[in-house]
Amino acid sequence: MSKTLTIEELTRVEGHGGITIIIEGETVKDVKMNIFEGPRFFESIIKTVYYDKIPDIMRRICAICTASHSLASIRAIEHAFNIDVSDQTQILRDLLIHGETIESHALHVFMLALPDYLGYPDALKMASDHLDKVKAALELKKAGNLIHNTISGREVHGMNERVGGFSRIPSERKLENIREEMLKVKAAAELGVELLARKEPQLNFNSKNIFMALNPGEKYGFIGDEILISDGSRHNINDYLNIVKERVVNYSTSKISTYKNHPFMVGALARLILNKNKLEGTAKTMFKKYQQLIREDNPLSNNIAQAIELVHSVERAEFLVNELLSRGVRDEHLPSVKVKEARGVGAVEAPRGILYHDYTFDKSGCVIKCNVITPTAQNIANMEKHYREIVEALIKEEENMIKRHLELVARAYDPCISCSTHIIRVKR
Amino acid sequence: MTWIIKNEKPKIGVFSLTGCAGDQLMILNLEDTLIELLAKFDIKSFQEASSYSENTKLDIAFIEGSVSTDHDLKILKNIRENSSLLVAIGDCAINGCVQAMRNNQTSIAERMLDVYGVKDNVYNALEPKGVGEYVKVDAEIPGCPIEKEEVFNAFISLLNGDMPLIPDYPVCVECKLNGYPCVIIEESKPCLGPIITAGCDARCPGLGLDCIGCRGAIRGETNAKAELETLRKRGYNDKYIINRLRFFAGNFEDIKNLGVREASKGERDE
Ligand code: SF4
Ligand code: SF4
Repeated sequence: MSKTLTIEELTRVEGHGGITIIIEGETVKDVKMNIFEGPRFFESIIKTVYYDKIPDIMRRICAICTASHSLASIRAIEHAFNIDVSDQTQILRDLLIHGETIESHALHVFMLALPDYLGYPDALKMASDHLDKVKAALELKKAGNLIHNTISGREVHGMNERVGGFSRIPSERKLENIREEMLKVKAAAELGVELLARKEPQLNFNSKNIFMALNPGEKYGFIGDEILISDGSRHNINDYLNIVKERVVNYSTSKISTYKNHPFMVGALARLILNKNKLEGTAKTMFKKYQQLIREDNPLSNNIAQAIELVHSVERAEFLVNELLSRGVRDEHLPSVKVKEARGVGAVEAPRGILYHDYTFDKSGCVIKCNVITPTAQNIANMEKHYREIVEALIKEEENMIKRHLELVARAYDPCISCSTHIIRVKR
Repeated sequence: MTWIIKNEKPKIGVFSLTGCAGDQLMILNLEDTLIELLAKFDIKSFQEASSYSENTKLDIAFIEGSVSTDHDLKILKNIRENSSLLVAIGDCAINGCVQAMRNNQTSIAERMLDVYGVKDNVYNALEPKGVGEYVKVDAEIPGCPIEKEEVFNAFISLLNGDMPLIPDYPVCVECKLNGYPCVIIEESKPCLGPIITAGCDARCPGLGLDCIGCRGAIRGETNAKAELETLRKRGYNDKYIINRLRFFAGNFEDIKNLGVREASKGERDE
């Protein structure tokens, strides 16, 4: 006898998504993550657009990762046309991406993961007993937004970061504001780690995870041109198509990715495992303290990995502002660009993992071919793997209990924050 | 304009069709006032349209995202039937946003082939449109994304039985009020400010950039031909300008009619 277990609307995955599991007797026959977000066909509609406005359109793929999309897009264009950027530009971009991480992780850690851990159905209900924690989350989110606003021009879909640099360099006074704000929210970020650490994930997983993250260079960060894989190999991002194999499935508008035919994982846990030696300051201390809670085979550890990154990004943002101020900020002109027939790949660690943009241009500088792979799409196969494990382990339990655990795992992956933030969840 | 509030705490829902969820996020970005503001409403749903399945009657439904699949359409009709007021938030819900920029230029089948390598429309995708193409819309809050002050004010207006007040003049006005130099005149940039709805405080010109039209063309007031003429004089060719005009206005009559398929091959004369 076969039965079907469905979670119709899970937490949305860049929109709407669900899980379907088919069980026969005591074996799991099939596991599907269905994504029925309407397709927007960005890779198709962008064709014929002149390079200078491509990032402005492509960033609209996602609100919570808008800066990641715009920077991946910008870097792909710069690689195609061989454009170098100044040190100041690099620091400002780093700062921007740390801001995005702060905002995104704050939402996920406090509003989404924490209610699960503290036994509340959603953040609003949690607020009635733990107003301080919800306020802390909002303060952190606001701090991340302040960075976004200052560097990019708006909290969502900014415009100031351009191919070659920035249109306007933020004033020293505005940068000082960022520093002040970072100092204020440091304690809130640390609170996130402490709260999650009190609740050890209770589920066990047996399969090993393959991790992928960008090599950020000397410091723990989110921008790089080299892919690190937990099997020890390293690859230039230009090879990404050989690393990340995508296929189309009819039950989902997202494509499914594998590495050498195996599912793999991107995101905070992957970054932390692959780049942990680069952590500094409080983040390093906290990582050491809770190392035994961060289990490589357990996707729930992604929650605490995010919390540690949150601490890191707040400190790093403060450091980067100091760096900018000690050098003295200067106005810079955007470089002139010589367009040509060319192809370029750019990658950035979005809050949820590696994000690739890949463009081919004609000789007039208009894009004729485009490919984007988002972190959520890369994680789907791994999520399905973990759903299967959960159901197999709990197969004798009642349905609601299985469903609750499936949701717990899905949320740990943080599929799409603006969607899965259960600030308010309605009883059916 | 006013509306009659039936409940002291209006029952509201925030729903999302196909988009980036940026407008919901802008509401959450009201960090300082969020908790107090939301407490004034009886919130029945804040996202996923399907949590609506129990068919609660609503006083106000806020909808973000475009209608891009038959599933979207079904949800939309259900929401409309069950809500006294329907407010479209963000450019996706109003004009179809960037995903509509190729409407009338490429077919869904071509886009399917491009992105998924198959022709069949397995996802039942529709040409992206704003919700007003299918149902009556009572108010619109423009922007990609919406401005948070504007949405805050809209919430307060609605709470008091008034309809939200949205500017009906172009971005240029805000540019002048701020004393920004015109980026068309000074720098020959292809700015769309003259035909785009104000309310962003001219963010882009304030940063020395040209407006790409994210708040949408001003309805009934837009002279797309004149904009085309202005930019032609600055040395941009038709293909480039029309491509640009379509970014946020693929469904806008005036602009749709300017460009046919050929014109989209957007090369720029250098
Ligand atoms: S209008 Fe813009 S911000 Fe709003 S959902 Fe659409 S793409 Fe996102
Ligand atoms: S200036 Fe134009 S593109 Fe920029 S924010 Fe305003 S309406 Fe949007």
